[in-house]
Amino acid sequence: MPEGKFCNKKPVETEEELKALLGDTGGKQYYEEMKSLDVDQALLWKTIQNTLKSRMKTWLEICAHCGMCADSCFLYLINDQDPKQVPAYKIQSTLGEIVKRKGKVNNEFMRMVMETAWAKCTCCNRCGMYCPHGIDMGVMFGYLRGLCYQQGFVPWEMKIGAGMHRVYRAQMDVTDEDFVETFEWMVEEYEEDYPGLEVPVDKEGADILYTVNAREVKHYPEDLAEAAILFHLAGENWTVPTSGWEQTSLAMFAGDWAACKMQVEHVYAAMERLKPKRMVGTECGHAHRATVVEGPYWAGRSTGKPPVESIHYVEWLAEALREGKLKIDPSKRLKKPVTLQDSCNYVRNNGLKDITREIMSYIVEPGYFKEMSPNREHNYCCGGGGGFNGIGLFRPQRNKALITKRDQILNVGAEMVIAPCHNCWDAIRDLEEEYKIGIKWSFLKPLVISMVEIPEHLKLQE
Amino acid sequence: MFKKILFATSATEACDHAARVAFNMAKSYDAQICILHVLGVPTRGFSQVVLDVKTKEKVTLDDEYIAWVEEEIKVHYSKQIATVQNYEIKVVIGLPHREILRAARETAPDLIVMGGSTGDDEDSVYKKSMVGSTLQRVAKVAPCPLLVVNRPAASFWGGMSNVVFGTDFSKASDAAFRFALKLVKALDCELHIFHALDIGSMHLGRSMTQDEIESNLRESLRRIRGRYIPEMKDIPEYDFEVWEGIPYVEIVKYAREKHADLIIMAHHTQKASQEDTRLGSNIEQVIVRAGCPVISINR
Repeated sequence: MPEGKFCNKKPVETEEELKALLGDTGGKQYYEEMKSLDVDQALLWKTIQNTLKSRMKTWLEICAHCGMCADSCFLYLINDQDPKQVPAYKIQSTLGEIVKRKGKVNNEFMRMVMETAWAKCTCCNRCGMYCPHGIDMGVMFGYLRGLCYQQGFVPWEMKIGAGMHRVYRAQMDVTDEDFVETFEWMVEEYEEDYPGLEVPVDKEGADILYTVNAREVKHYPEDLAEAAILFHLAGENWTVPTSGWEQTSLAMFAGDWAACKMQVEHVYAAMERLKPKRMVGTECGHAHRATVVEGPYWAGRSTGKPPVESIHYVEWLAEALREGKLKIDPSKRLKKPVTLQDSCNYVRNNGLKDITREIMSYIVEPGYFKEMSPNREHNYCCGGGGGFNGIGLFRPQRNKALITKRDQILNVGAEMVIAPCHNCWDAIRDLEEEYKIGIKWSFLKPLVISMVEIPEHLKLQE
Repeated sequence: MFKKILFATSATEACDHAARVAFNMAKSYDAQICILHVLGVPTRGFSQVVLDVKTKEKVTLDDEYIAWVEEEIKVHYSKQIATVQNYEIKVVIGLPHREILRAARETAPDLIVMGGSTGDDEDSVYKKSMVGSTLQRVAKVAPCPLLVVNRPAASFWGGMSNVVFGTDFSKASDAAFRFALKLVKALDCELHIFHALDIGSMHLGRSMTQDEIESNLRESLRRIRGRYIPEMKDIPEYDFEVWEGIPYVEIVKYAREKHADLIIMAHHTQKASQEDTRLGSNIEQVIVRAGCPVISINR
């Protein structure tokens, strides 16, 4: 059977298709169909010829097989230094092999490629820092995922995630109406505590356009309220768009290039429509990578930048604390061993390593902040990046991958891990659930709210 | 006055006493009862996996499982369901407090009924990914009165004749008073107004002299007379008292003495505590300790 009912080369385009695919519990039929899915070898080779550019061609050719990348990969280390987990091997035996064979690979091979691309690499890009030639296997795996997606060899949840973006322009089934309604609901819940709290919707020319992660709207809407509260206390002139509010891109994890472009153009359209001075995104790593770092290229923007200056939440927060827009009550700073999870997507990939530490200096009592080892751009992936967290089929591999982070946290003796990234936050929660090491984990927003001084004119009057 | 009741339940023994009250009320007041059960947040990304409330095993979410849970709930409450006219079972996915509040916002019930704290059960399927208990979070912002039955002893609710209203003279207490008034009028019962003078935490480092206590007691009685009594012209039976002590203990004692079937109190819109997940404020302590259901009102 070449094309399955669920597992095929066609992206999910409609709500009905999405529901049908979700109805296939755990992707049971989907993965069964995958076993007999044909590889369109001609299409694969044509795509490679059109899209495999000189950088990756060179990388594939100049790899000296020196093995320097091995120890840089946490999946290699945690899997008993299995040679098959060496990054260079992983990419050469998949993408390298497909190129060498000019796309003439079979079904079984593609299923091996899928497992390698999603369960043996989180696209954390750490190997790229240690390769003497600067070869970044993470970047190549991101590309390889695109080839897999085109051929239909993509984990069930990733196909759904990309489909969500195509149907809802959000990673979950959250409509524009749901978004605005939920944000307003949250403001209603909190406005008694914070007089004057509001959510300005679709305001043109605001200083800040705020974009979020659909998971916040769906399951943790407190996060929206917390963002509103901090903008309110900081006296910011901010707004959210009625449409184009989703900053994340599971399409990027899935390798659905067309959906990546659709999603990010949708956000850029909101920027162009509302003309804010800046865009601030929520505490999410891959959302920043998708919308701010890679998005401009997907959208074909010659500047390599989004339409307006776009920053991560940690950049806004550090600025607000530095400039005194938000003031911390020193007596309420964290007085217990605290560590910080560096998100690969905006630390290693976007250089925001010092700014998060500046925030720590404001919110943690001196002497209580502990650095994980390694840290900053050398930090390891949380263990669930690049979509790994969400893939049921590879859950055992993911759970093993969490051990790296678990031990880093245990070694530093932290009681709390601050994780200003949705994916890291989820992974750390999961590792606590899986291994029960007795830690707490948090985003920045609730911590800052618990210690921020409320300006006199915004105080609750009894 | 209770036409629509939202009963949020884990559908396990922990909620059985709350169930008795919820169904009893639905039957007595001909109310529509919506039985709401929250499955929990599916694990990460698009993994559709939740933990089953009873077996604590990982289950993949699908329509079949949800239908099965609905059926289980129907069986668990089969006897009670038979006693009510109008019921519906809703099984949803998410964080319990958030989904209860969402349902309350969507269906605008007259009352939410919940069981008490499930405690610090290590293997509770409702992950403590957020600080504060479900109860605290719902009580803080519920758009309607919230009735909580924490102890089994609090659940045998054969109609109502004695209602205790505990006040601290706050704005929120005024709202609770208006509700209490409406309730005693509609259900024709006695109203007992009570204030407890806090002689503990308020005066750290110094104990009040007996003269101070007594003068404060008189002042509080005067406030009750001035604030509430004028509005109680059509209430045939009421009384009021002020005692000194630890407020929540005094309220529970007073309710016991008055054979109260219900305590009504305000929940202040204080932020749910960040660190401490134990029940903290007076009303929360009353909920934990009272021998009858407690209604919490925040607006």
